[in-house]
Amino acid sequence: MMRGGLERKSKASSEIPSSSLADMAFLLLIFFMVTTVFRKEQPRDAEFPEAEATQKLDEPRKDILHIWVERDGAIWINDQNTPMEAVAPIVNELYRESNQRLVPVLRADRDVPYRVMNSLQEQLQEAGTVRVTFYTNLEQRMARARR
Amino acid sequence: MAILKKKNRPSGEIPTASMADIAFLLLVFFLVTTVFEEEKGLRIVLPERQEEIEVSQKNVLHLTVQPDGVVQVKRGESPQVQPVSSSQLSSIWRQEFSRNENLIAAVKTHPEASYRFMIDVLDQLQAAGAERISLQQLEL
Repeated sequence: MMRGGLERKSKASSEIPSSSLADMAFLLLIFFMVTTVFRKEQPRDAEFPEAEATQKLDEPRKDILHIWVERDGAIWINDQNTPMEAVAPIVNELYRESNQRLVPVLRADRDVPYRVMNSLQEQLQEAGTVRVTFYTNLEQRMARARR
Repeated sequence: MAILKKKNRPSGEIPTASMADIAFLLLVFFLVTTVFEEEKGLRIVLPERQEEIEVSQKNVLHLTVQPDGVVQVKRGESPQVQPVSSSQLSSIWRQEFSRNENLIAAVKTHPEASYRFMIDVLDQLQAAGAERISLQQLEL
């Protein structure tokens, strides 16, 4: 008799409660929907150089202009193949539209000859955007060795 | 009669059993397509157009980047040229900067040198805390 009473007490529900499962899933779903940014630009043929002094940029995304330089020296701004002489007027217009807040980020392939980068820097000086960033990947190995 | 009545009465509730499945499907889709893109890099401020600053030679550390990645270091007025690899530049800069606080690093890169060799030099200088850096193309 006593044994039976004990057995009844330990008979808790053997199922995992699943009524809040949908709520949890939707919560996660909404989080990912809000944080997702779909890539606006086409992928380009560029492998970036590595640097241990790589810093994160604090500029808001809308103030950042990507200037892609492919391995063969081709320049792409907003998915447009741009000849070197056209960089300054285009960047200057975008710079004025952004109330002088635009920061060009040079996403250049690591094996581009320096003369291309030099001409590009001259174009940016002409456009008035003197604060530029060279896009680099963080060099992990060196950073660890330094510590 | 009773049978007919029963037939006309569908369930008044929307089925919620598959709700979690739908939500998880969407969730997996967004998980897979999400790319957390980080904006990062080496910052530098270029000089304004037509802005030329005369700097006394003794305050300049000349760094010439050759096409093979070797960096030639020339200290101010001394005619001596010392070839080094870019990984040594950080310590060279610290050493020179402790002697002269007004030092400017003038990085001159050969036009045919790979861009990454210039980045290596810039990286070493910035890692060593250099703020006054000038980037130029080597005149041949």
